[in-house]
Amino acid sequence: MTCEDLKDGFELYSLGLCDAEERSEIAAHLERGCDTCQKNLRGALALNAAMFASAPSVRPRRRLRRRVVEGFGVRKAGWGWLWALAAACMAAIAVWLSIQERRRTTELAEIRQNLIEVSSERDRLAQAFNFFNQPGTRQVNFGSAQPRPPRGNVFVNSRLGVLLIAGNLPPLGPGRTYEMWVIPKGGAPVPAGLFQSAGDGSAMHLLNGPMDVASLGAVAVSVEPQAGSRAPTTTPIIVAAL
Amino acid sequence: MRIDQREAILRLVPATFAYAFLQVALRFKDDADLARRLKARDPHVMSTLYERYGRLAYSLIFRVVRDASTAEDLVQETFLRVWNRAQSFDEQRGALGPWILTVARNRAIDHVRSAEGRMLSGALELDRLENPKLFSDLEDSALSIDRARRLKAAFEKLTPQQRTVIEMAYYEGLSQTEMAERMKQPLGTVKTWVRTALKTLREELTEAMLA
Repeated sequence: MTCEDLKDGFELYSLGLCDAEERSEIAAHLERGCDTCQKNLRGALALNAAMFASAPSVRPRRRLRRRVVEGFGVRKAGWGWLWALAAACMAAIAVWLSIQERRRTTELAEIRQNLIEVSSERDRLAQAFNFFNQPGTRQVNFGSAQPRPPRGNVFVNSRLGVLLIAGNLPPLGPGRTYEMWVIPKGGAPVPAGLFQSAGDGSAMHLLNGPMDVASLGAVAVSVEPQAGSRAPTTTPIIVAAL
Repeated sequence: MRIDQREAILRLVPATFAYAFLQVALRFKDDADLARRLKARDPHVMSTLYERYGRLAYSLIFRVVRDASTAEDLVQETFLRVWNRAQSFDEQRGALGPWILTVARNRAIDHVRSAEGRMLSGALELDRLENPKLFSDLEDSALSIDRARRLKAAFEKLTPQQRTVIEMAYYEGLSQTEMAERMKQPLGTVKTWVRTALKTLREELTEAMLA
């Protein structure tokens, strides 16, 4: 056969699919160093390679790369330490953020509490101011004759109730509180609310509500157990006679 | 198209050619370097070799065997064979990619033939046809994306019978006689389909290389 006869057979030859006769003819031409056939073989191998490369692309699993490469004793310098470092940093940041968050929550709670207290104080002061401004409010001073007595004023108003403003209150023992009493003329003391003093011994306490001022004999304060009492159990530290 | 646009495009043409030439040159240079390291038995080259040709080899093998696990085994076998036979490879003139893909295809076809119990003697023939020396002075850039795309387009234009016989040859390793038996067609008809299809593909590839 001539080179021209064989020229279409090189792809199948290089794929190992030639008939025996054609295969031996091509092999003989190649062994002779026939330039045309060598060129045809190179063309066929190029076509085959292009056909192989046009197979639908499929992504192999990642482990295949490791399997192939490690088969030659090559271990890729892993990035595992970097991931571990990143994870440790993330954990540290998470802990720090958690602590910061907790601290902020505590601070926020304290600020909220302060705000409530300030707001409450403001309300009480507004009530007191309102008390002073109302016509018919009567003021009674107490404690001015004693060397270091609780001192202050009691304001009564038939529509608003009783307002006590005191200073120099003695410190309370554990589990004790101040209790205000309103004492009708010729009657027994009636509980009028519990209160605490500020750090400097001052206090303000309001018994809100209409009151029969004409029948009111006195306002008193005694030290009582934390839960309060139905009647004074100690000697009153303030007695403001009306 | 306006004249200024045309002029702008014409001005870009030499730059495009230069870029393409540079890409091909760099690829050849890279492959030559890989081949040199392969022959020098540098095991670290296998990592780069896998990066460059692992997916192509896997895709081809998977196309033949249709099983991921088997394809993985055969890819490993392919790279081992490349490693063992690299001494005969000509690092200056050899085309690494076509050789590796040929080894991969032959491993897959050999596996399929063994599994089907046919043409066991063909293993020797395949072994001979993947001799690295055969891949000297080959057009390595046959593996370029553009050429693969053009070849694929040409393949799509073949008649259904021509496409079938080409797939049987490349991806199933069937001889023309086996194709004729499977398709229940005269051998002469099958041979005509095969030769016509290969001629079309060959011409398309030649045009692509000249383009």
